[in-house]
Amino acid sequence: MSADLAAEGAVEAAHEKDASDSGLPQGGIAGKSPLQIALGRLRRDWLAMICLAIVVLFALIAIFAPLICKIFGVSTDTVLASSYLDWRNGLPLKGPPLHGFDPNHPFGIAPKTADDNLAWWVYGCRTSLEIATMATVVSTVIGVTLGLLAGFLGGIVDKVISFFTDLFLTIPFILAALVLAPIINQRFNTSSHYSQIQFWVLVAILSFFYWMSIARLVRGEVLSLREREFVQAARVLGMPTRRILFRELLPNLTGPIIVSVSLALPTFVSAEAGLAYLGIGLNGAVSWGQVILKASDYFDTYPLYLWEPLLGVVVLVLALNLLGDAVRDAFDPKTRR
Amino acid sequence: MRRSKPLAAIAGVALFALAACGSGGGSDESPSGNDTFGVQKDVKDKDPSAKGPAPEVEGAQKGGTITVYDPGDPGPPDLDPDNGWSVVGNSIEQALLTRSLTQYRRDPETGKMILVPDLATDLGTPNKDYTAWTFTIKDGVKWENGKPVTAKEVAFGIARSMDTENFPMGVGQAYSQTYFKDAGKYKGPYSDKKTSWEKWGGVTVKGNSLTIHMSQTFPDMDFYAAFMAIGPVPLNAGPASEYGKHPLATGPYKIQSFDPEKQLVLVKNPEWDPKTDPARHQYADKWIIKFDTDQDKTDQIMLSNSGAGDTSLSFSINTSANLDKFKSTLGDRLIQQSSQCTSFWMPDYTKIKDINVRKAIAYGYPYADAWLAAGEVPNVTRVPANTIMPPGMAGKDEDFQVDGKQITYDPAKAKELLDKAGYAPGEYKLYAAYYEPDPLAVATMKQVKKGLEQAGFDVTYYPIQDSPSTVYGDANNKVNKKLNIRAVGWCSDWPSALTFIPPLLQTGQYYNFEKFSEKAVDDQIKKIPSMPLEDQPDAWGDLDKKIMTDYFPVIPLSYNNYLFPMGKKIGGYSGDGEIAAPNFKDLYVTK
Repeated sequence: MSADLAAEGAVEAAHEKDASDSGLPQGGIAGKSPLQIALGRLRRDWLAMICLAIVVLFALIAIFAPLICKIFGVSTDTVLASSYLDWRNGLPLKGPPLHGFDPNHPFGIAPKTADDNLAWWVYGCRTSLEIATMATVVSTVIGVTLGLLAGFLGGIVDKVISFFTDLFLTIPFILAALVLAPIINQRFNTSSHYSQIQFWVLVAILSFFYWMSIARLVRGEVLSLREREFVQAARVLGMPTRRILFRELLPNLTGPIIVSVSLALPTFVSAEAGLAYLGIGLNGAVSWGQVILKASDYFDTYPLYLWEPLLGVVVLVLALNLLGDAVRDAFDPKTRR
Repeated sequence: MRRSKPLAAIAGVALFALAACGSGGGSDESPSGNDTFGVQKDVKDKDPSAKGPAPEVEGAQKGGTITVYDPGDPGPPDLDPDNGWSVVGNSIEQALLTRSLTQYRRDPETGKMILVPDLATDLGTPNKDYTAWTFTIKDGVKWENGKPVTAKEVAFGIARSMDTENFPMGVGQAYSQTYFKDAGKYKGPYSDKKTSWEKWGGVTVKGNSLTIHMSQTFPDMDFYAAFMAIGPVPLNAGPASEYGKHPLATGPYKIQSFDPEKQLVLVKNPEWDPKTDPARHQYADKWIIKFDTDQDKTDQIMLSNSGAGDTSLSFSINTSANLDKFKSTLGDRLIQQSSQCTSFWMPDYTKIKDINVRKAIAYGYPYADAWLAAGEVPNVTRVPANTIMPPGMAGKDEDFQVDGKQITYDPAKAKELLDKAGYAPGEYKLYAAYYEPDPLAVATMKQVKKGLEQAGFDVTYYPIQDSPSTVYGDANNKVNKKLNIRAVGWCSDWPSALTFIPPLLQTGQYYNFEKFSEKAVDDQIKKIPSMPLEDQPDAWGDLDKKIMTDYFPVIPLSYNNYLFPMGKKIGGYSGDGEIAAPNFKDLYVTK
């Protein structure tokens, strides 16, 4: 699918280039870049727009987490649990699951620790999106750079990069994460910036095992693009490689890259939650995965506690996925349903 | 003994575990909904004249299959009698599979665990200063293959317990390699290639009796002999690593199949003669022990109160989520068993030198909050502790309080004590560690940190990925070097302070994580075992109080209790206060 899409984009871009180069008068037929065409299609897709709205809402919640907590008068600070919980079963004295709605804690409080669920949810949303965004950026930058280099330079460079791509693809992700995370965490466990280090370690682990698909995709695109006339022309004109890569090739790869980004985001959101459930990731930090891990014991005694973070993950991942599909369809009309 | 369970997480603790006794307080005595655990005093009871067969359990029926669940714990990696020192492994193997020189029998009237003979005709005969113990082996005890068990085979089992290199998880490292002859020098029959075990001299055989020779006075040999390590191993057992895969049975059941970390199936051993055994029964036809099951699934099976759950029992429940349901569904079939386990916080004696600061920590520790966060139930599975020795241990003063009344969370008092020591609130720095992969440990850490900060301390917690007891014992560990407070959960191996105070408070002991060292205490620890037997309990009790009053080197956080659910067709159920496990010896299936 992506080859077609690139071909279409490339042809249009090439035509555009030809048109402006030959100095034809503007007007009449308005030139539209493939990006503009795709966005136009996307705007007409109501499902995509709903999903976009949901994603924007989650992003706003994440950005304004402190403000939201302030409005509701809740915080993620630890409180001494014994005065808020029933000692016999560790469940809250006020609010769900055994009592009615508690206005001081709209989402209820956590069993065992009496943490406020709303504050944890809002900050958990922030953590999820931060991790997903950072991992997406890092893996995309790595993947695109290596893909461009491998595809354009070919020869030994291509062989080496392809080897490493294949190598990383053979490493089982969960196994590697289970082994690596504790080792890296142990290395830094006396640091005063431990929580930040843990965050970046997680981003690194996630992106180090995701860049390969982007690199392969980009490499494939470049392999077909580099034989095109406009690239050949640029070479003949003596353009430096860097300029060819970034000015000639990259704009033609916008489509595939946007598609892969939009599909990477939900992958990372769910991966973060999954890793947290396995006990790796941001131990002790406020994150949806951590809450799901703790709440799984309470699936029938305090279901709300489990549903809150679970719905957060499910709704966000679903919205991102559907949006990603819509973006892909918009860039490639042949797969439209 | 080790209790390898996630609940070891409390206060970042490595729960070591016990085998000692305590209590009773089994289901028979505690009505449902009663949150108190019975504690039997004066437990050091022995009955050297007990004879087989064991008294019948009232209403016992024959036949059926009992399923035992061991949630969230892989169980023993092998069944070698010399390589076992865990609650799950030892409680099952010693009750059903492997016999040793002595054993415990539960007194149905009081719930006490009473030391009775097993393979030996009595509880052994010590010499005057307890440096040589002689046991005589009964006639008519057979292996599952019909061959008689000989004194020489028992001697071989004892010699093997010296081999800590081949049996690193065995109890021998703590006692055989401390008290037996050539402790620290003789490495055991597999590791020591030069000396044949028969020439070691630690155990000598004469006819059907054997004598164990000590390197120092050891008055508790009869209790130690209840460990399966002090029992027989066939002379042709083969390599050290092989025998544990399928050891020969001497008890009422033999192995049908053993799949480590998954399942152990036991069937009746026809060669076991009840006339030789004063404590064990052979009611059920078959036992299926399932290791490392999912806690929530197991809870659902037990709570279904029908079908598979009826003939099952479990080593643990998810206390925080399901205790109420278990109480209403099972009633007194939820055994509430006290144990001889104490959890400690250990301020580094070489770094936190002022007793007022150590006491301030005790007042600044948020006990109930930490227990709740760890998923425990305050006053049920965790009860406030007053001294080092656990309840029920011979010689313990149950009413003693260092400061006149029970130390509880009291931030004002903690600040006052800190002020007395010359520190403003927020000035004194504590460095502790927590086991990061366990979410319960993380939650507990947050509560403790908050509590101590409100009490005027500045707390830094380091995350660790290894077992805390490994880190605390490693002098070169970079985290350990920074710590000034550590933790341990300790369980006795038999109801004597000998298994409690020396390992935790004697200079140079591995688990003396607080690095406590006072000559007066060391001298007393050395002196007490050589005192007349009847004076020893009180001497330990006095030492316990003296240590707490004069030095306050460790903070006893809690005494620990455990809960075991029993299906509705399980009969004869009770707790084994000796090892803090279900009492497997008396169980049967009702029709």
